[in-house]
Amino acid sequence: MDPKLDLLYRLADDQLILGHRNSEWNGLGPILEEDIAFSSMAQDKLGHSLQLYNLLHNLGEAEPDTVAFTRNAPQFHCCQLVELPIGEYDFSLTRHFLFDHAELLRFEALATSSYEPLAQVARKLRGELKYHALHANTWMKRLGTATEEAIERMQGALNFTLPYALGIFETTEAEPEIISSGLFIGEAELKSRWLESITKILAQTALDMPDLNLLTPVNGGRYGQHTEHLQPLLDEMAEVFRLDPTADW
Amino acid sequence: MYGSASTHDLPTTATTGLENEDPILLAEFEARIARGEKIEPGDWMPALYRKQLTRMIEQHAHSEIIGSLPEGTWITRAPGFRRKMAQMAKVQDEVGHAQLLYSAAETLGKTREQMLIDLINGKSKYSNVFNYPTPTWADSNVISWLIDAGAIVNQLANAKGSYGPYCRALDRICAEEAFHLKYGHDAVVHMATGTPIQRAMMQAALNRWWPAIMTFFGPSDKMSVHTEILMRWKVKMASNDECRNQFLDMYVPKIWEIGLTLPDEKLAKNEETGRWEFTEPDWEDFKRVINGDGPCNAERIAVRRAAEENGAWVRRALLTPKTQYVRPLA
Amino acid sequence: MIQSFDPRMNRLGLPDAPVTAATKTALDQFGTYEVFHQKKDGAPYVYVGPVHAPEADVAFLFAKEQFSRRFACTGMWVVPTAAITVTDYVGDQESAYDFLPLLPKSVAPAPGNADDTAGEAAAYAAGEEDYDIFHLKKRGKAHQHVGKVRASSPAAALQVAKAVFGEQRPVVNVWTTRSADVLRSDEEDRDIWSTTPEKKYRDAISYKVQDRIEKFKAENK
Ligand SMILES: [Fe+2]
Ligand SMILES: [Fe+2]
Ligand SMILES: [Fe+2]
Repeated sequence: MDPKLDLLYRLADDQLILGHRNSEWNGLGPILEEDIAFSSMAQDKLGHSLQLYNLLHNLGEAEPDTVAFTRNAPQFHCCQLVELPIGEYDFSLTRHFLFDHAELLRFEALATSSYEPLAQVARKLRGELKYHALHANTWMKRLGTATEEAIERMQGALNFTLPYALGIFETTEAEPEIISSGLFIGEAELKSRWLESITKILAQTALDMPDLNLLTPVNGGRYGQHTEHLQPLLDEMAEVFRLDPTADW
Repeated sequence: MYGSASTHDLPTTATTGLENEDPILLAEFEARIARGEKIEPGDWMPALYRKQLTRMIEQHAHSEIIGSLPEGTWITRAPGFRRKMAQMAKVQDEVGHAQLLYSAAETLGKTREQMLIDLINGKSKYSNVFNYPTPTWADSNVISWLIDAGAIVNQLANAKGSYGPYCRALDRICAEEAFHLKYGHDAVVHMATGTPIQRAMMQAALNRWWPAIMTFFGPSDKMSVHTEILMRWKVKMASNDECRNQFLDMYVPKIWEIGLTLPDEKLAKNEETGRWEFTEPDWEDFKRVINGDGPCNAERIAVRRAAEENGAWVRRALLTPKTQYVRPLA
Repeated sequence: MIQSFDPRMNRLGLPDAPVTAATKTALDQFGTYEVFHQKKDGAPYVYVGPVHAPEADVAFLFAKEQFSRRFACTGMWVVPTAAITVTDYVGDQESAYDFLPLLPKSVAPAPGNADDTAGEAAAYAAGEEDYDIFHLKKRGKAHQHVGKVRASSPAAALQVAKAVFGEQRPVVNVWTTRSADVLRSDEEDRDIWSTTPEKKYRDAISYKVQDRIEKFKAENK
């Protein structure tokens, strides 16, 4: 695939699917105010994905609605991390923490991408992503130093989620060209920045960072291999949209 | 969104307790309201005022948090980016409204946690329309437009009430309701003027919801002594019949103009009286549902209970002895 | 299990009957923080409402999305409710400063000392602190920040505020808090609001449907 399309699809699909998942918490959050904050960030993710699908559309791909609501799982390029069900709040927060650190650093790097339309989007989203990271860090630090129950839960969630989070950095065949053309710094570099960034926050908690060398990254998502959760998610998301494909909703 | 504090909620046999209030303070209190000044949390107020307002604002808050559920039902299935993001924003707003209203009620002395406990233990009421389901996307649109439209009629009236914190909350809420109303109307119009499938879905949803919408403002007012006091104190601002008539005046023409019909043959405006005539809603059924026997009562409460239970460990973890709870200020 | 039209609820697996009688204890209650919001540079910070939160940093996270997810915002403050001293509320034509309790001479500050830069260092050394002052101009409206004073206690701060801001009328109610108790958003973080005005999908103006209605009416005459 063209390196630009390859990169954009990965970014956009991650944002869409995680935004969709996180929206499932709306009305079910642990604290009213947190319910509102978490919903805002889910909306932001939907907004990010829309902007990225628009870039794809400008490059000749179909309309954002068509791309988002009519493809099936094998055509999606998201990592498997984002498609997992919301589980309990410990998992959803941990996923948010691990993903949004990568997201913040990714867009920071994309601000100087050789592909100017993408660089523009990245620069614009800076402040928005800063709040997401602030939110994630605050929660991680609070819960990671709180009650025994909370620390145990968060440690469990971290251990479970990390292998999936490593799947964020799965590369595709386009990777060498993405880097050489200055589109993006590349997944390996992003991963090392991410690791430094999350380690710094986790060091301020009672949580132990598992040895990443002992973990096997859950890969495949970038090549259309997904968990059993993605297709039902897509079917649900498109249930109304597909009722009448000719309709303007 | 919101169902009015209708007269059936008011004490009918208990005394008002007014005879036990200090007559001088009571006179000052009533004079302040008569002058058009708002009451603020630090002021002296009669026990009945505090009690009725607490109940009314609390019920309103519950209606927002429970009211987020029927539309939340479609949050993962809204078709297309435009609707998906707006549906999320609207459901989020309703949770935000609950937050604002619980806060306003707290200034009167009842804690938010106590209100939530009462809700999940089935001790509190909320707007009865939310005990009905939203089996299709179109049902969600009908709520977004018409239930919110009804809520706005109520809320605009209540925003002129006498209690400062409630007015402040309602000012914020009404500003957001403008989005809900336009969004809901937009969605309904797209369906009604769309493909035959869309149109049929919308008409069916409207038929399902119309009886509930007609009960939204509560039973016809039978003016009791207590209502008179609450009107004088600017706790209850408009009669149920007044609100219903205003709603019909504003929205029935908008429903008809997009070719939708309403399942009530009697529904028509009497041009002489300026009042709408309609088939009297089934108030016995209304009573049955509000007392727990509706299609979704159990689910609505179970959802809130699950949210509270699943979130309990988070709140336990964050409790610090450092931050002592005191009533919010305003 | 309750069967719901909401797929999220079916995933939750709601039991048919409540499992436990009570799920919350009285302790399950955070403190509250009062939130103030600035619309644009130079505008006063205005009270917008409270949030429940365990700590100020969490209160800030919550306040940001509850009170500034729409429209422009250039800054936000959160203050623990318990840290705010409140005067009596007076009538819409009066001034709360006229009803302040009298302070003993030893505590009462010399009026106007807030601007006295010469004595400033000495005053801080003697234990005085900055206080933020908020006025309510009309019942039912919102408190607004009017400025800071230096004083040794909230009561003394009100006396100084009376000297500095007492000319303003009416003042229905005054809030005062140690400036040290106010968590203020950082100047360098104001970009967290930079995209807020672009989120048009949250605005009524994005939903214009009149053309569609007219077209439908024309076609279905
Ligand atoms: Fe994010
Ligand atoms: Fe609403
Ligand atoms: Fe609402």
